[in-house]
Amino acid sequence: MAMKNVLGMIYTGEKDSFLRELTLLRAIAAMPVAGRYRVIDFLVSSMVNSGIKNVGVIMQKNYHSLMDHLGSGKEWDLHGKNDGLYILPPFLTRENVGVYSGSLDAIHSNFGYLRRSRQEYVLLCNSLIVFNADFNDMYDVYRRSGADVTIMYTKNPGMRRPEYGIYFDVNAEGLITDVEIDPTRPRYENTCMEVFLLRKDLLIDLVDRGSAHGYHDLTRDVFQRMIRDAGMHMAGYEYKDVCYRMDSVQSYFKFNMDVINPVIRHALFREDQPVYTKVRDEMSAHHLENARVSESIVADGCIIDGEVDHCVLFRGVNIARGARVKNCIIMQDSRIEEDVVLENCILDKQAIIKKGGKLIGPQSYPIVISKNMTI
Amino acid sequence: MLRKKECIAMLLAGGQGSRLGILTANMAKPAIPYGGKYRIIDFPLSNCANSGIDVVGVLTQYQPLELNAYIGSGSPWDLDLAHGGVYVLPPYVKGKQGEWYSGTANAIYQNIAFIEQFNPEYVAILSGDHIYKMDYNAMLRYHIDIGADVTIAVREVPWEETSRFGIMNTDENNAIIEFEEKPAKAKSNKASMGVYMFTWDKLRKYLQEDAETHGSSNDFGKNIIPNMLADKQKLYAFDFEGYWKDVGTIESLWEANMDLLHMPMPIDLYDKKWRIYGRNPGVAPHYIAAGAVAKSCLITEGCEVYGRVEHSVLFAGVQVLEGASVIDSVVMPRALIERGATVVRAIIAEDAVIGTGAKVGEATGSIAVVGQGVRVMAGDVVKAGEQRAQ
Repeated sequence: MAMKNVLGMIYTGEKDSFLRELTLLRAIAAMPVAGRYRVIDFLVSSMVNSGIKNVGVIMQKNYHSLMDHLGSGKEWDLHGKNDGLYILPPFLTRENVGVYSGSLDAIHSNFGYLRRSRQEYVLLCNSLIVFNADFNDMYDVYRRSGADVTIMYTKNPGMRRPEYGIYFDVNAEGLITDVEIDPTRPRYENTCMEVFLLRKDLLIDLVDRGSAHGYHDLTRDVFQRMIRDAGMHMAGYEYKDVCYRMDSVQSYFKFNMDVINPVIRHALFREDQPVYTKVRDEMSAHHLENARVSESIVADGCIIDGEVDHCVLFRGVNIARGARVKNCIIMQDSRIEEDVVLENCILDKQAIIKKGGKLIGPQSYPIVISKNMTI
Repeated sequence: MLRKKECIAMLLAGGQGSRLGILTANMAKPAIPYGGKYRIIDFPLSNCANSGIDVVGVLTQYQPLELNAYIGSGSPWDLDLAHGGVYVLPPYVKGKQGEWYSGTANAIYQNIAFIEQFNPEYVAILSGDHIYKMDYNAMLRYHIDIGADVTIAVREVPWEETSRFGIMNTDENNAIIEFEEKPAKAKSNKASMGVYMFTWDKLRKYLQEDAETHGSSNDFGKNIIPNMLADKQKLYAFDFEGYWKDVGTIESLWEANMDLLHMPMPIDLYDKKWRIYGRNPGVAPHYIAAGAVAKSCLITEGCEVYGRVEHSVLFAGVQVLEGASVIDSVVMPRALIERGATVVRAIIAEDAVIGTGAKVGEATGSIAVVGQGVRVMAGDVVKAGEQRAQ
């Protein structure tokens, strides 16, 4: 119940060019993952399971599929009379040109929503993190520490990126003493997960001041200066469980392949912290007479009569007899016809691979087939 | 007075389903899981939603808890509406006259006030016992066009089975001229499906007369329909040709599940235009491990298969561990089949555990059943036809 006083805010406007064709028509937050989910499901479900009742999702570009997915917020029980799910698309006013150059601009444009909501605290996240977190512990640590802002970080080496990301030095008291942004070689092992917890009035003040100085990005422009120049107390909170970042085709591919592993899957899909998503009322998956499925996850509505090895099959995928697919991610309603051979491919929704087709990509650079393509 | 509804549905879900043995020990028959994702009641509720009927009264009486929780606000069937929706209607005390529903007609009679709130012209009476996809709106249009007082959905059954059904004898215009309950020597093979479309004014009149008749069974088949026939009311048969299965016994429930393993399915549940909705368990996709075998089977989200599954239906969250095998069986939600256990021609109910090396069922003979939450100990044997309760 403690987290009822916390507002969840998700910024979905991140740079997505590393995801190639996959984000041509959708925001990263709306990327289909793990057979039946979207990236944002993990974050929204984590918030809801932690007791947050009010979640605002700041949209930037390509947000149609994200809006369609979130709908009224019913699947997350976020359709109450007070609070609930708020979709915050960009809008044009005299001060607001509708295009955000960074998270700071986006929050500035949504001051109205922030001020109107009853919560005193804000949990601010960006949308490309995939994890199943209970934020109650972070909230406790934040309340006890007396810090101005608490920021989540991880020591997971899989979250580090060359020349990209935010890295901290954290002292014995848990306070962040230095912040590096986009170093060629990160000096600190603590990778910022861009999950911030702070008072709402402080956030409004920081954004207002940052905006007045012509800054655009909250993490990059404001927080770093706050530690260095304003002597603000920024505390780190270490997240120790499984987490991923969807910032390239490779990291997207790796995450999906890892989810096949029962240990990782069970860490992400816990009975006491379910991950909710939009339901589709599909029939159970049908494994036919010739199906040979191994080390794969398969969503409902699939019909399989071929060979499937180490794959993620989304809802309604068809694999015909004689087809062989290996190390592939095959999204919703795609159809693999007879005798097709696929290896290391990502097929976006409703792709069709015609009879006898053969596509073999290198493991380090999977082939991406765009939505609705027929090959 | 609420806004008028042209047609509302009343769904009889109070059946005990005693021929389903221990499967209905803790739940009403309409709450029984079917087909990997559904419960029986999803079929009439989804038919209503797909037919455009948006007021459904669900009459419950026997073991209603599971059903009440399952129906909830009705949102899985889009029946959580400001005006209309799904209403669970248990018997209740009215002044000094509170009583149980004494029969199918009595259940409707006791809810006349509920029905009148919606001021409907037509009332569909449905049963919660069958697996079928039917457009009630098409039936309503037929009922209106032909000017019937009641239209009864009928389906041709094999002649040798006619003695198990209520048989309608019709003339060349499909008017019902005679009704025979379980006739020894049938004149027709058109069986009543237990789906009725009534003009409400007529039904209300006959319900009231029936309630005043001493010694009546207060039953649609035994009383209301024969009374209307005797009064020369306009009764018509509505022919239905699709899949329709009564899942009233262990064997028929098992068979109805096995029917889904034929391709093409005798009842197309992949049909996007007539989806069957249900409450979704919200779990990750199912997992087939390296070395596992899964063929000719339906497997639902949340399942984890390390062993062998053949010609079976696995509901959400079932686990089949290494060396275990499940053949010709129905395994309901969250059951656990431990290492080396074998399950053959069996129905394993929700949350049951089949211990290491245990054997349930046999390749021939009747279907074995393990009840809800029952644990079959390691190495134990459950024979063909046996029903294992706690």
